[in-house]
Amino acid sequence: MSRVGFTTSIPVEVLLAAGRTPVDLNNVFINSASPQSMVDLAEEEGYPRNCCGWIKGLYATSLNYDMDALIAVMHGDCSNTQALMETLQLRKKKIIPFAFPFDRERVQLEAQVDKLMQFFEVEMEEVLKVRARLEKIRSLCREIDRMTWRDNLVSGQENHYYLLCSSDFNGNPDAFEAELQSFVEEAGKRRPIKEEVRLAYIGVPPIFTDLHQLLELMGARVVFNEVQRQFSMPMQSDDIIEQYLQYTYPYGAFARLEDIEEQLAIRDVQGVIHYTQTFCFRQIEDLIFRERLKIPFLTLEGDRPGKVDARSRMRLESFVSMLKK
Amino acid sequence: MSVTGIDLGSRTIKIIEMDGQQIVHHGLYDTVSFYRNCGIIAGGEMTVDLAGLGFKQGRVIATGYGKINVKIAGAQQIPEIQAHVFGALWQSGLKDFTLLDIGGQDTKVVQVREGQMVDFMTNDRCAASSGRYLENMASVLGISLEELSSFSEEAVELNATCAIFGETELIARIVEGHPVSHLAAGVNYSLYRRVSIMLKRLQSKSIILAGGGALNSALARIIARETGSEIYQLSQPQFNGAIGCCARA
Repeated sequence: MSRVGFTTSIPVEVLLAAGRTPVDLNNVFINSASPQSMVDLAEEEGYPRNCCGWIKGLYATSLNYDMDALIAVMHGDCSNTQALMETLQLRKKKIIPFAFPFDRERVQLEAQVDKLMQFFEVEMEEVLKVRARLEKIRSLCREIDRMTWRDNLVSGQENHYYLLCSSDFNGNPDAFEAELQSFVEEAGKRRPIKEEVRLAYIGVPPIFTDLHQLLELMGARVVFNEVQRQFSMPMQSDDIIEQYLQYTYPYGAFARLEDIEEQLAIRDVQGVIHYTQTFCFRQIEDLIFRERLKIPFLTLEGDRPGKVDARSRMRLESFVSMLKK
Repeated sequence: MSVTGIDLGSRTIKIIEMDGQQIVHHGLYDTVSFYRNCGIIAGGEMTVDLAGLGFKQGRVIATGYGKINVKIAGAQQIPEIQAHVFGALWQSGLKDFTLLDIGGQDTKVVQVREGQMVDFMTNDRCAASSGRYLENMASVLGISLEELSSFSEEAVELNATCAIFGETELIARIVEGHPVSHLAAGVNYSLYRRVSIMLKRLQSKSIILAGGGALNSALARIIARETGSEIYQLSQPQFNGAIGCCARA
């Protein structure tokens, strides 16, 4: 099956219906042997130092990764994607633009999905069949999420990993389903975790590789991974368009806030970590979340891939120790 | 019983030995030379020859940047901001305050209510609001840190978005012919502006200054003038973290 990359979650059902292998390039980048060398490579090609590490990582990954085409989310993710797409066009990569409508408007999103279906030559019927098949996998993701915050059987890192991977099902839905199934069985036999501090993690997934584990060493557990959870399409919806309208991530801070407030109300957390990427426009949105969420709040900034740096570690340590009292 | 507190800072290492409520011995060492001369690192742990430095080898509590990479053998580790809060509580006797700690490479602002830390902020990743910035700027002006610390009036405008841009900007002001006193006041004022956002968000009637930056009396005057808060100067601001380690024991 030929592979199709994407820069952030898109209606992946279309790709699977067309018999293509979906690849979330963020996952390929961050799980590569040396993500830092990807960033370096992009900088050597001329990407500025004061530009987001993910964009640089995606650029370098796209150059070397064997795929037929790349779906670039031009609206609803990050404006840097436009330049990313242009620089990849310069390198003769095939780009398919996709846009989530800013005002969350159904007709516009329908048109975008139609365009994608036309490109991949698939009919809605086939797409819906895939959606029904994926629902089994997504319900397992929801189960893992409940086992995290309600049953306290799953660590923050495990929750992060499985929900994150639900963006492309690791390129193989059947194998991913089996992996989820055996994890749910194994975790079901565990004794509940008793952490000192329960945390919520909001924002894009961290570029740090050991954040959740580190927090666990400090006696804190993340019981809500906001965007990772969104990748698993946690809301009930009647059709595929509604599903991608309910998906909060592309529709700005207020769409996300609604979901975050709802989840914070049920998950019993003592503090929120808002992760933002250095040089990202979401650093501005931080003030919205900080003002609206009436709960101890730590803004964490990450620049380059790798372990949590000493300064961030000091801040996390202080935040957790403050919440322990 | 005597307790030794070690604050492994980015620029200097501070060690305090306390017997009961008395400070009996203290030492301040340059970080680079300290790692080179005083410690033997094996298996991720550093053995410090405290006796060789004149300290009792009893109970040891450590904090600071350094402890993340290097554990001091046999020492209990406590979070840095916590150590600073304990130090400020012990040194000032106050229970409600905002602590402003200006260290070598970073600055922390902590809000304390009824003796408990309730919120904190740190400077963004660049060193523009830290002691390192003051050191660099003093060296550009060709004056000592002490001299830099004496000017707070008629400050020239410096934006100092970062430590490096700050230097360039300062040089541009020098060639405009401003007197050193106004330039030095500009440096102190730009440092204040960087921390003022944090001080405003986590304000209190009393502000306690700690860290090497607290030795800058011009900065204290500027903060008092601009915030209207009462400024509390610790007698040992640089040793606050190490004192906090002992006070925690």
